[in-house]
Amino acid sequence: MTKMPEQISNADTGLVLSALEPDQLAAAKNVLVPRRKLAGAELTVLWALRIYVLFMLAVVFWQAWSAAR
Amino acid sequence: MSAGTQSAQRPRVAVERAAGETVVTHEDVDRAHDRARVWKARSGHGLRAWAWLLWLLIGPGILVMLGENDGPSMLSYAATGAKFGVGFFIPFVILTFVMALVVQEMTVRLGAATHRGHAELIFERFGPFWGWFSMIDLGIGNFLTLITEFIAIRAGLGFFGVPAWAAVLLSLAVLYSALLSHRYWTWERVTLAAAAFNLVFVPVALLAHPDWSAIGHALGTWKPLPGLDKDTVLIVLSDIGATVTPWMLFFQQSATVDKGMTAKDIHFGRIDTLIGAGLAALAALGAMLAAAPLFGHISADSFEAAQFAQALEPIIGRFGASLFALGMVEAGIVAAITISTSSAYAFGEVTRRPHSLNLPVLEGKSFYAVLGLCAAAAAGIVLIPGLPLVFVVLVVNVVAVLAMPPALVFLYMLVNDKEIMGGVRSPRWANALAALVVVLLTAAGVLYGISVVAPQALARLGGS
Repeated sequence: MTKMPEQISNADTGLVLSALEPDQLAAAKNVLVPRRKLAGAELTVLWALRIYVLFMLAVVFWQAWSAAR
Repeated sequence: MSAGTQSAQRPRVAVERAAGETVVTHEDVDRAHDRARVWKARSGHGLRAWAWLLWLLIGPGILVMLGENDGPSMLSYAATGAKFGVGFFIPFVILTFVMALVVQEMTVRLGAATHRGHAELIFERFGPFWGWFSMIDLGIGNFLTLITEFIAIRAGLGFFGVPAWAAVLLSLAVLYSALLSHRYWTWERVTLAAAAFNLVFVPVALLAHPDWSAIGHALGTWKPLPGLDKDTVLIVLSDIGATVTPWMLFFQQSATVDKGMTAKDIHFGRIDTLIGAGLAALAALGAMLAAAPLFGHISADSFEAAQFAQALEPIIGRFGASLFALGMVEAGIVAAITISTSSAYAFGEVTRRPHSLNLPVLEGKSFYAVLGLCAAAAAGIVLIPGLPLVFVVLVVNVVAVLAMPPALVFLYMLVNDKEIMGGVRSPRWANALAALVVVLLTAAGVLYGISVVAPQALARLGGS
């Protein structure tokens, strides 16, 4: 069954249902994409990169702070 | 009745929701009108029909590439030209746009195949723990970059004597007026028209009378090579960060979804991204070549837009210098529009609130509020006297490069996820290219770390 705010015309509703794929509707965003379990190797890479980013950010801010002073 | 007329006449109502029923919203209606035009164009034959279809489907790719040619990026290219002249960095900058093309093509496929934004896919597929890490990276990067856009706008308009407060207000007015239609299509076309002005750096470069034989030599040989020292590494990182950044992933995927592109449109999405990369590379090289005559004459390490324009005035004249300053203003405004939109998309995706440029204001209050407030806050910071803004300009591109590898790994995992991508998963060659980009970006970051923590080791690497 199709439900719509009353100000949206039947013609517009018909257009929406014919021109858009079902999962393009704004309401389809309420259906979550199922969660995926990360493999051990993937977790290792993600953690390694996270540590890399945090360490490098500290280096950047230290260098920029020194330069700005 | 045209889609535009219908849209203008439509009443503003709240979205109704009901479990088990198909709910149609005004966002859907607007998107359906855009899609109907695409379907109609697709039924045509010949070059004219193909060109019309391309015209309808271009947008996110050109916007993201020209949007990333922002204030700090154009300053970075100009500083590269002034510091190193014509040589290694000419082909290097082209290579960075090839990297951007490889990365952004994946977001087109992801958005068109899943109809989901990048932030919501990371949250839903990998969970909020990793999702929030990505959001923090994006939030910090976007806000710092937004500040630099307003610095560029202020400095560019400052060249014409416009006071800082007026420059900031003017740019906010342009940003907000682009949203007035509450229509993705109109917003996209207005922003594309503004972004086209980025090419103003090409005539500026021509006014500087570039040495074409040196350019040809640099393109063929990557020479002369710069010495491997701290300054070179910083410029390398800055130029990479001027082309490949996390907000681009989030923006192009969300814009692809908001535009309503489907798997059938991926080919045109690729052409759109290719055109964008080509135009942006042209403008970037223009800024570099325009500033190249300053090579060996001045130190332009911490120049702002107005200072570059002033330094170039004796070489390219008042007209050329004015174009250069206006180019900086345009770069700042277009990037402020696209980056604040990227923040608003990500906020809506993560909080599961409506997020589309097709939303009427009442239905998308949080979306428009985030978009407007991000821009206003960044603009306000620029007006606070005494803040060390040069600090922000210095770090913004470098931070972008450092945050890219984790963002790319998520992207890589998503585009190879058979469950959500189906038949448009990444082929092996695309995976190899993406992996190469991750390795190059990480290596550039490590090299930067060495240059700061152990400069003597870098000197040994460079052979001095």
